[in-house]
Amino acid sequence: MPGPQKRSSLRQDDIFDAVVDLETSLFQQGFDDGFISGVRLGKDEGREVGLKSGFELGEEIGFYRGCVTIWKIALERDSTLFSARAQRSIDHFDEQLRAYPLTSPEDERLQDLLASLRVRFKAIMAMLSIRLDYSGYPKASSAGEISF
Amino acid sequence: MAKKLGGNGAARLGFLHQLEGHTDRVWGVAWNPASRSGGAPSMLASCSGDKTVRIWEQQSTVSSSSPSWTCQAVLDESHSRTVRACDWSPNGKLLATGSFDATTSIWEHVGGEFDCIATLEGHENEVKSVAWNTSGTLLATCSRDKTVWIWELQPGNDFECVSVLNGHTQDVKMVLWHPSRDVLVSASYDNTIKVWAEDRDGDDWRCVQTLAEPGWGHTSTVWQLSFNMSGDQMVSCSDDLQLMVWDSTVDPSEWTGNGGGPWKHLCTISGHHERTIFSVHWSRTNGLIATGSADDCIRIFAEDPTNVASSVSFCKVLEKQKAHEGDVNSVRWHPKDPRLLASAGDDGVIKIWEFEQDL
Repeated sequence: MPGPQKRSSLRQDDIFDAVVDLETSLFQQGFDDGFISGVRLGKDEGREVGLKSGFELGEEIGFYRGCVTIWKIALERDSTLFSARAQRSIDHFDEQLRAYPLTSPEDERLQDLLASLRVRFKAIMAMLSIRLDYSGYPKASSAGEISF
Repeated sequence: MAKKLGGNGAARLGFLHQLEGHTDRVWGVAWNPASRSGGAPSMLASCSGDKTVRIWEQQSTVSSSSPSWTCQAVLDESHSRTVRACDWSPNGKLLATGSFDATTSIWEHVGGEFDCIATLEGHENEVKSVAWNTSGTLLATCSRDKTVWIWELQPGNDFECVSVLNGHTQDVKMVLWHPSRDVLVSASYDNTIKVWAEDRDGDDWRCVQTLAEPGWGHTSTVWQLSFNMSGDQMVSCSDDLQLMVWDSTVDPSEWTGNGGGPWKHLCTISGHHERTIFSVHWSRTNGLIATGSADDCIRIFAEDPTNVASSVSFCKVLEKQKAHEGDVNSVRWHPKDPRLLASAGDDGVIKIWEFEQDL
């Protein structure tokens, strides 16, 4: 329609602009809202996962520490209990455990050091002829193999 | 005196005997090192998916035309799953057998009888290979659990775990000791070969070199390794259809650590195999390399006599098609007789071959 349209041609563009802008602005608003709640949810999930992995790591390291403590006490009472090689291995394992960066979650070596601890633990178990699950429930393959 | 075969004349692999008895595929064969020493007959051990190990002995008869083979013993009741590997100790008195049941059994050969004297536990799943070192004091085992274990033989036939080696990122297919040093090599599904040596100051073993890409290395599973008689060269075979020969002259414990590693790639032998090469063995008596493949063939390679370049190269001397009715899982040269070769296949049989070449 001529006349009023010509006069309000700018406003017509504005209207269309407003519609287009509305879409964009609503999209942006939705995105921002989503982002904020995503960050919140992510943080909560991250905290949960961190708590879980931290607990598992602590539990495993703690289990090894417990084993080493018991073995050392046993050796104090009877130094012939384990072979020389087994004793050296236990000492080495003890050193590695003490050096483990338990309180530095960002340390890149965490996984590799843990893998090397696990492998040494397996070797010690073989030397002592025992079989323990790290979950802490001892399942000795032959009872009476170790006596205190 | 090692007589080097592999000249330019026509070569033949003549079929001599077939050893039947296993009821499933035969995974490996091992010649007793004492075979033909001091009049002792040739003895062979074989291990199979039928969970048993069979000991075969060649009877020496008055007419030496073709002494027959008989099965001396069947070792069962030890493993609850496939027996995947077997290896004799250097003096031929002990036999180690590795199984999918995750254990390794040690058998003692006393007066015609075999007694299981030890069972080594530790691996989390299938044991793939067992190997004695040259002095018979150490035994290495490897498994799908990606680790390599080293055990020491103690007085009273006891075994003590020396070390558990971590490093491979996948199933370890084979372990093998250097013929004159306590240096261990391992081959894996992770496409690499690792060289392990003992730390000077203790009983810790560590990986001193990984033969892999980038640089020279296989591009798929490495199945087996074998050293030549002197141990200055090593050959590897792979699912990538190639053989690679490595210079293993340098003692890894004397390696100063500059540039790469003690051992170097010498040459690649390719274009001869159409399917996975499962087995390779370098004869200690005739210098030839035998391979067993998934294309049912046995092939024999020799150092190329016409090669004028400074590096070594190998040429195929013969190809035996349909050596087995199925994959050839293992090929092993006789420790003393340069003509004899044993092979084991998915067809459940072991074959004894005679290599001949016109000069």
